[in-house]
Amino acid sequence: MSADQKAFGEPIAIVGYAISPMSAFSEDTEVRLCLDVVTRALAASGLGRKEIEFTCSGSADYLSGGTFTFVANLDAVGAWPPIRESHVEMDGAWALHEAWVRLLIGEERTALVFGSGKSSTGDLSRVLALQTDPYYLAPLGADPLSLAALQARALLDSGRATERDLAAVAARARRAAVTSPHALPALAAAAADASGTGGTGGTGGTDGGDDLGDQIDALLTADYVRSPLRAHDTPPVTDGACALVLATATVARRLAEEKGITPVWITGLEHFVEPHQPGTRDLTDSVSARRAAQAAGLAGGAPVEVAELSALYSHEEIILREALGLPDGCEINPSGGPLAANPTMATGLVRVAEAARAIQERGVSRALAHATSGPCLQQNLVCLLDRQPLGKEAHTSQGSSQEGGAR
Amino acid sequence: MSSGARSGPRIVTNTVEFPYRRSLGPVIGTFVAALARGQILGVRSGERVLCPPLEYDPDTGAATSGEFVAVGPVGTVRSWTWVGEPSDRHPLDRPFAFALIQLDGAGTSLLHAVDAGGEGAMRTGLRVVPRFRAEPKGHTGDLAYFVPEGAETTDAGVVDGAALSPVAGGEPGVVLEPVETMEFWSSLTYREALSAASERYARSLLAGRLLGQRCPTCGKVYVPPRDFCAIDGIPLGEGDDLALPDRGVITNFTIVTPVKYPGQKETEPFVRVSVLLDAPDGQLSESGSALMGLQPVVDVTNEEVRVGMRVEAVWLPEAERNTDELGNRGWGSTSGALTGWRPTGEQDLSVERYIDRVF
Ligand SMILES: [Zn+2]
Repeated sequence: MSADQKAFGEPIAIVGYAISPMSAFSEDTEVRLCLDVVTRALAASGLGRKEIEFTCSGSADYLSGGTFTFVANLDAVGAWPPIRESHVEMDGAWALHEAWVRLLIGEERTALVFGSGKSSTGDLSRVLALQTDPYYLAPLGADPLSLAALQARALLDSGRATERDLAAVAARARRAAVTSPHALPALAAAAADASGTGGTGGTGGTDGGDDLGDQIDALLTADYVRSPLRAHDTPPVTDGACALVLATATVARRLAEEKGITPVWITGLEHFVEPHQPGTRDLTDSVSARRAAQAAGLAGGAPVEVAELSALYSHEEIILREALGLPDGCEINPSGGPLAANPTMATGLVRVAEAARAIQERGVSRALAHATSGPCLQQNLVCLLDRQPLGKEAHTSQGSSQEGGAR
Repeated sequence: MSSGARSGPRIVTNTVEFPYRRSLGPVIGTFVAALARGQILGVRSGERVLCPPLEYDPDTGAATSGEFVAVGPVGTVRSWTWVGEPSDRHPLDRPFAFALIQLDGAGTSLLHAVDAGGEGAMRTGLRVVPRFRAEPKGHTGDLAYFVPEGAETTDAGVVDGAALSPVAGGEPGVVLEPVETMEFWSSLTYREALSAASERYARSLLAGRLLGQRCPTCGKVYVPPRDFCAIDGIPLGEGDDLALPDRGVITNFTIVTPVKYPGQKETEPFVRVSVLLDAPDGQLSESGSALMGLQPVVDVTNEEVRVGMRVEAVWLPEAERNTDELGNRGWGSTSGALTGWRPTGEQDLSVERYIDRVF
């Protein structure tokens, strides 16, 4: 690496990413899933392992049932001689946040971020129930599906959505899954069968033709798994991993010049959290998602063309769309989203990679990626990506602004 | 642990259990204490009453007042869902509703179960009343579940709140002694495919051979094989496997004094040693060989174990070997194949050679 000057607040770009194949039951170990995406993301960035100055990962040992699984995952990065490294027991999108802050500070100029999870290993529903409040919620076996259903019912009761609206979200996710390289293969195949075609291509938009209408009708005939949610409204258990490589502007521009890399610029990245007890908040709104989007600077700049949302349940997409105030023309989850593949602990980071892919491969100018954590959209992260970097001032100052004070 | 079908990979299962004892603190502890006398308490926070009571206001972060207020007993369902097939972690073994219940007098809702008989009986706005455990245990579960107002209780284990009040002798408003702790038994079962590398290692152990893997890039030897090199971050494969000598030298050890906990089978202090295997060509070696951690010893007392001691593997008779307990973790477990490592009687190697090793 050249002796670039340390610079505080340089724009940060994604210079490489990789998403693992998604599987309902991976026979490979988690560290091998990580090895695959880390290797490919580095190759895409044009950087070698030894050129990475900071590494941060996101995963949960509860998913694998092995203590220090997150340490074992480091074997995927070749951590010898010792490296600067950190881990969050959260979705990899929060590892991205930590790495982004590190690069903004300017001590390091390149970072590797990865998130991974094999939720098929344990009973995901039970594992997540144990991650709720241990006094009032966990003793009841408050499983994520039940909590999500309470939120869905609240939304329906508010009159702002119908069961048909939920099914429409699911039908679009399924249609996108047919052509998405990162959907669960079985789900994509089933969706292709149901639509009677091997892929109609992404039509985008929020409504579809008669074909989509028929599929919605068909979905609505299914039984509830937790009323008012049906199986298609819920995410599939998925094993998978995702990795990103970040670089400061100086390095990113050099990679663009020397290796032909197309940098995707992170122009805003913020997260906010709400109270944990579901009975203390308005479940039909996502205050923290709205606040994160405002703080990240969604209102400034051109409209977002693509939004990759960690809407694990179909009603969450409706709540998020409203809370974020996404424009009508915005394409939501062209990848199929978490309804097509939900690798817990990587789902949010996959959204960032998919949003970056929309910019790199599909000519999109501005995209939004969203990650969530906790029951009923308790915590939300918004990442704004752009084909062009903003000036230095664009991604500082917002984080400390006070507009979030009033609820 | 069990073996799966022959067609696919071997499936290994593992159950992790943990008995938690949680401190409840002054707020939740008081809430639980009141359940024993058939009362649900909220806590005042500013203008509103929080139920379930919390130590800090979720909106402002300010400490709540410590002033408890009896709420309900009637409450209103604010949202609900139907659990048609309850799991063993759920509060009821028959179909029930999970509901957010706003008890009369409370400004927030409590998540709880409603024993409604059928989904058709549930609706948002339904008025429900609590049922308490007839014999309280000092646990949040003393609030058993809710039923629609006016419903008959057929469950002998629960009672109406009014039935408990005289038994517990509690007048509303009397200061309660908070319940201090609550037990919670956590149990999770995991199921995964034994990796290809671990399967080769298991087969090798059954045949009485230690199998390792050498990275062609850095030369490091791993045992068992992992199908990647942790130094270089590159994939390895079966072609990198190699048989290793079942002799080596102790480079480190610890004496474990067992403390009692659920699942602990050991009662006496025991030794675990690190064994640096001889090089694949049978030569003594300081590097370029593989280390097996946390190995048991045999035919030697705890006091005799020392760094530099030469040891050899003691294999179980072939018919008794069983690798069903082997998992994917790379620690080099030999359980089910070796009884342990015993001194060879050869002269010790110099301690100085191993002084800088961590393991
Ligand atoms: Zn190597």
